[in-house]
Amino acid sequence: MQSLVATRSSALKHTVRGFASSAARGQATPLQKPVLNKEFKIYRWNPDEPSKKPTLQSYTIDLNQCGPMILDALIKIKNEIDPTLTFRRSCREGICGSCAMNINGQNTLACLCRIDRNASKDTKIYPLPHMYIVKDLVPDLTQFYKQYKSIEPYLQNDNPPADREFLQSQEDRKKLDGMYECILCACCSTSCPSYWWNQDEYLGPATLMAAYRWMADSRDTYKTHRMEKMQNELSLYRCHTIFNCARTCPKGLNPAAAIAKMKLELASE
Amino acid sequence: MSSALVARAAFNRNVAAAIARRSLRPLALQARSAADTAYVPGGPIYRGTVNDPTPFPPPSKTHGSYHWAFERILSAGLVPLTVASFVTSGTNYPILDGLLGVSLVMHSHIGFDAILVDYLHPRKFPVLGRALTWVLRATTVGVLVGVYQFNTNDVGLTELIAKAWHA
Repeated sequence: MQSLVATRSSALKHTVRGFASSAARGQATPLQKPVLNKEFKIYRWNPDEPSKKPTLQSYTIDLNQCGPMILDALIKIKNEIDPTLTFRRSCREGICGSCAMNINGQNTLACLCRIDRNASKDTKIYPLPHMYIVKDLVPDLTQFYKQYKSIEPYLQNDNPPADREFLQSQEDRKKLDGMYECILCACCSTSCPSYWWNQDEYLGPATLMAAYRWMADSRDTYKTHRMEKMQNELSLYRCHTIFNCARTCPKGLNPAAAIAKMKLELASE
Repeated sequence: MSSALVARAAFNRNVAAAIARRSLRPLALQARSAADTAYVPGGPIYRGTVNDPTPFPPPSKTHGSYHWAFERILSAGLVPLTVASFVTSGTNYPILDGLLGVSLVMHSHIGFDAILVDYLHPRKFPVLGRALTWVLRATTVGVLVGVYQFNTNDVGLTELIAKAWHA
């Protein structure tokens, strides 16, 4: 009996030793990824030195030590190279709309934009075009939000059902698809040339789509009031159907379609 | 305890001094700061506070949906008009010739007017914008008169284009 135990324990010891000694050979060695340096040129402007003109500052990072998205690169640069680099970010998954910026000439969300892994070409990052800049990649969106507020973006109905919630048919609900998903990142508005020239009066695609989202809602009874607001030269009719909004939307929405429907409803009112 | 009292007294004194300074600020300086924060169309200064919604101009269908619908109907109407002028001859159908002349000129007027509204709106360019709007109106009227004269006294628009085409 004792000898049996002894053999078993020695066998156990042997296997343990065998497993341990084979570890070095059997386990995969950590892969040494090659260095893939890529240059990022980022718009810099510091409000504390207003006399200094905005410049493009160059940063080089190793893409193999970085996440896949532009936002990962920005965070890496801010953490490791230059803590003064300023940008907005929050959710890192394309639902908050904070990190909207102009990447390689296209307005998009940095968190939804993959880094081009071609290291021979640099990536240029600017803030949203034709906006007043607070610092670096942070645009002043006050006017954008003031315009959004002006279209009364909430349900208005003077006769709510007394005993239950508002009911809506499935067809009526479908009319809101493609509009309610807007996260107000301002990518579309700031890509619109009409909004560049006349953003003090023209509302811009994001706000207009939000306006039509409430016009199209079957539960809202203020449609005529909402439509009357658009009856002027500038608020709506500076849209020249350029389609930059639909092309740039990082959520894949189509503000141009909403504006076209709104124009048609206004004309056939 | 006593240090907190001292600190509070110092704070009150500072606030009082700041209020006194503000009320004693020279009038000229106050006027300049008011000009600094005056609303500029398209500029960095906003109308009202950051929490005020942007205002809408008084509603007018003439500037809104009627204008848009007229513009679109005119553009769409130009297509069959052009085809008709191409197929027939202006000498046989002078009404068609006149209609084409008027609608082409109106179409171009609306197009040029859109350029002025986009780039040289009077709210931003009070002198140049207004002047060019009137220059455009005068030009349109002049061209309309010219087209009328040409259509009544000469070969007419369609014939001219046909001649230039075959020349």
